[in-house]
Amino acid sequence: MKTIFSFLFCVFLIVNASAQDFDKNMASARAAYAAGNLSDARFAMEQLLSDLDAAIGKEILKMLPAQMGSLKFDVKSDNVTGSSAGVTAGLYVQRTYGADPKRAILEIINNSPLMNSLGAILNTPMMGSMMRDENQKMVKVQGYKSLLTKHLDSDTGKTSYDIQIPMNNTLVTLKVDDTSEAEITAFANTIPLPKIAQIAQ
Amino acid sequence: MKALFGIAVWTTTIFVTFPASAQFLNKLKQKAEKTADQKVDKQLGINQTPNQNQNQNQNQNQNQNQNQNQNNNGGGNNTGGGLNQNQGGGGLIATPPDVKSNLTDGETAFKGGKYGDARYSIQQAMLGVELEIGNKILKSLPETISGLNKDATADQVTSTGSGWAGLTIARKYTDTKEKEFRTTIANNSVWMSAINMYFTSGGYAQQTNGQQNWKQVKVKGNRSIIEFDQSSGYKLSVPIGQSSLIVFEGVNFANENDMIAAANTVDIEGIKKMLGEQ
Repeated sequence: MKTIFSFLFCVFLIVNASAQDFDKNMASARAAYAAGNLSDARFAMEQLLSDLDAAIGKEILKMLPAQMGSLKFDVKSDNVTGSSAGVTAGLYVQRTYGADPKRAILEIINNSPLMNSLGAILNTPMMGSMMRDENQKMVKVQGYKSLLTKHLDSDTGKTSYDIQIPMNNTLVTLKVDDTSEAEITAFANTIPLPKIAQIAQ
Repeated sequence: MKALFGIAVWTTTIFVTFPASAQFLNKLKQKAEKTADQKVDKQLGINQTPNQNQNQNQNQNQNQNQNQNQNNNGGGNNTGGGLNQNQGGGGLIATPPDVKSNLTDGETAFKGGKYGDARYSIQQAMLGVELEIGNKILKSLPETISGLNKDATADQVTSTGSGWAGLTIARKYTDTKEKEFRTTIANNSVWMSAINMYFTSGGYAQQTNGQQNWKQVKVKGNRSIIEFDQSSGYKLSVPIGQSSLIVFEGVNFANENDMIAAANTVDIEGIKKMLGEQ
């Protein structure tokens, strides 16, 4: 109960802080634009986009399941970034479930550079067969075409999987250690994908 | 009455059964109309010479043929069951997004918890600002460079409104014959990393003998790379600030000094300032 309360309190503080940042950056953008200082206006708008991505990320975190199978989520490792620079510009959300030796990591990224190659594999049958990897296969998660990849650790003999689900310009990736295809698919089915696709656009 | 009915039945039968009969009937109809017209003209006292009549008929035939050709060639009409071809329309109006109203929309959407809508509005506002910056930079470029006039139709400002790889500004100068000078100003991190490889990577060594295709030069105090390619000519890349790059391309320039002199006519410091670069 205490943990839930402290989590909700943290979320309130963060959302409130981002609202303050948004207001501040909005005022800067308006003032700079009115003064004809276009480059400063542009910079302030970049910050606004970053604030918005962070706000969207926090909304997504609220939607995510509290646990996957027996793995509970780790509040401290929740990570939201709204970036207006770099290659993965935009939204980045990460949540970790469980602890060593079995962990599940869920990532939600906007404008990921992997989107194009994934789209090519999933939507072009010829491309898919050319890039065929025996450890990869196409599956459907809640109706979304996805790419399931198997990783075998030769030292421990354990198998981990990751599943990549592209939705419009958002990529959802779930990585699970020491798991089976059935388990990771079941985990992926607990993610509210349509809601995430809607809010992350 | 019976006779009339019989004639009507026969006429219809002939018309339906033999298409050639339709032509015959058509001619018969035309002749009847002509005779009627002549009679009316005569009564009204209008005289037409046989030549005039002939010319009129010829013109009518020509018009008919033209119409027929237009129909056969498509001419905007869809006779073959295919898709119509567009032959007009004013295109799209180049309207940059209104910055102030988009900022207001963004703020309202944010306060209403509609973050996706807020992001869209802020992106539109940013697009508007970037297009303004681009147009301002285009205005600051010289009207002529090395005797080449600007080609206003090739002026281009492109923005994605995303802020991180957004803005590209292009201007072309030409003598409309063979010499050309192109200026591209880009705010693009991918290009920047490509050009920085020349400055930082030992793999791209500058040589003193043999075929030298690139070297470092300074343009108005800015470290730059000049390249030469037999087919595309000179290319001078000037990184400015943290994330912007000016690329000058010269086709049919006599030598590198001419190329650098042309680049020196551009107000690089002004562009740097307008892009907010240090």
